[in-house]
Amino acid sequence: MIRFEGVGKRHPDGTVAVEGLDLEVPTGRITVLVGPSGCGKTTLLRMVNRMVEPTSGRVLLDDTDVAELEPAKLRRGIGYVIQQAGLFPHRKVIDNIATVPYLLGWDRKKARARAAELLELVGLAPETAKRYPFQLSGGQQQRVGVARALAADPPVLLMDEPFSAVDPVVRAGLQEELLRLQSELHKTVLFVTHDIEEAVRLGDQVVVLREHGRIAQLADPHTLLTSPADDGVAAFLGRDRGLRGLGLRPAKAVELRPVDDGLRYGGWELALDDERRPIGWIDRSAGTAELQPSAGYRPDSDTLRAALDAAVLSPAGVAVALDADGRAIGTASREAVLAALTPAGGGPVSVRKPDPADAMGTPAGADTVGTADGADVVGTADGADGGR
Amino acid sequence: MDDEPIVRWYWIGDHLGYLGNLLADHAVIALVPVLIGLLLAVPLGLACARFPRLYQPLSAVFNIVYALPSLAVFVVLIPYTGLATQATVMFPLTFYALAVLLPTTVDGLRAVPDSVRQAATAMGYGPWHRLTAVELPAAVPYLIAGLRVAAVSSISLASVGALVGRGGLGYLFVDGFQRTFPTPIVAGITLIAVLALAVDLLLVAARRLLAPWAVREQGAGS
Repeated sequence: MIRFEGVGKRHPDGTVAVEGLDLEVPTGRITVLVGPSGCGKTTLLRMVNRMVEPTSGRVLLDDTDVAELEPAKLRRGIGYVIQQAGLFPHRKVIDNIATVPYLLGWDRKKARARAAELLELVGLAPETAKRYPFQLSGGQQQRVGVARALAADPPVLLMDEPFSAVDPVVRAGLQEELLRLQSELHKTVLFVTHDIEEAVRLGDQVVVLREHGRIAQLADPHTLLTSPADDGVAAFLGRDRGLRGLGLRPAKAVELRPVDDGLRYGGWELALDDERRPIGWIDRSAGTAELQPSAGYRPDSDTLRAALDAAVLSPAGVAVALDADGRAIGTASREAVLAALTPAGGGPVSVRKPDPADAMGTPAGADTVGTADGADVVGTADGADGGR
Repeated sequence: MDDEPIVRWYWIGDHLGYLGNLLADHAVIALVPVLIGLLLAVPLGLACARFPRLYQPLSAVFNIVYALPSLAVFVVLIPYTGLATQATVMFPLTFYALAVLLPTTVDGLRAVPDSVRQAATAMGYGPWHRLTAVELPAAVPYLIAGLRVAAVSSISLASVGALVGRGGLGYLFVDGFQRTFPTPIVAGITLIAVLALAVDLLLVAARRLLAPWAVREQGAGS
């Protein structure tokens, strides 16, 4: 655990970066510091490894004041990832990753073996080991940066806007990767960003900072999005915070209508191939065979936001739930998705089932309850096939 | 000089051994100072990077030395180092090399991206360790660029040393001029150009070997 106690930083010129801040960063969790530039978030982060010394208060790392520790030694026990990756240009990727093990005096073979392990852990190909940093893309460099920070298996990881210099698609991939790593490694992560979306996506707890490092709100992402502490925080969260909150809730909560119950929705019919993969929607009322694209989501891994998005995109107003192989396992109308939003009071991870009666009023209501994968229902299979 | 051809090839043929000796002498006089300059520039550069206040006064001193006419310096040095000794020529050339190499070393150390420096600090490098293990290797392309300038200018400057009795190939210019006989002059110019080119190519090759990671960043060669 990292604890900030009455921490302040006054620069020699009299400007105040941080003033009287108290904060606990729990062990094994991701805590995100988010705020506009100049709010002191990077200053706070650097106090942990003594790259910045507080002018008042103290920072405790597992109940030890970091000021009592020798800086170089302290730093070798704390992973650090920065925006531009900061890889050493003259060292091959493998030796970049092995930096801290080398500093700790591991022998070369052991350090490189560990580095190779990490290369794989962060999802880079083994042949990347022999490249130089300039031969890598920005996203790859950042992965190497993360691997380097993890090399000596430090319990604490400091991340200073690590993903803000890469394009949005790569950034999303890196964020996902971090969450996957964290689910395996359970590090104590202090993460700094100016991007509230990233904060909400990654944080177990989010600390919204105002200028001078004053805490505007400290909350889990769901609470933050649904009940911001004041108008300032609400404005910082942005106007679609309600919709974004859906991105924190699993799509599992949406009641599905099994594919075998028929594929007609009003004038639209979903066309599947022999493997049950959706091909598109056919407008029966128009009498043509023209296909409109279907939109799908993965109930097991996607969020309510993705489910709603798919329902909104579909011409029939129906999202197609897909399994890992892209086969349709059920459908969810806009109404069904909206019904899943209603039990919001249950908290961010609520998967309480909505009442099937008001979900979509299917005739075979009794059969469909709980058969989200749709595979067990065989009664109307012929009818569904006939629709192709 | 009207009837005198630019080159009398037989003279060159007759003096191959002599020309070879002058070339070797020239290479030593010109390049040993560059080497010594490098050995001084690296620690001085590191000190300047570590303590930035040192840099201004140091570079001012070397700039002043660099501005002094080489011939005047040679003459001033004769009472101390003696006429026609290598030291008379090599001593000032060392300073000229240093005047080129110190700024390139410091620039190279400073050119290391801030993110690299911060990452190194955050991983537990102390200030000196970081300079020698991270910033200095990263500055190698700059050092070699500086060496190329210093080496070529030193090869050219060394010929002036002939006027105080020790100048390697420069002696050919004095000789040819005094006898209004252009052949040695042409031979001297050619050999100096060949020496400069060879050293330059060697340094380009050295960079490819020592800093393969910089080939793309700074353009390949020349």
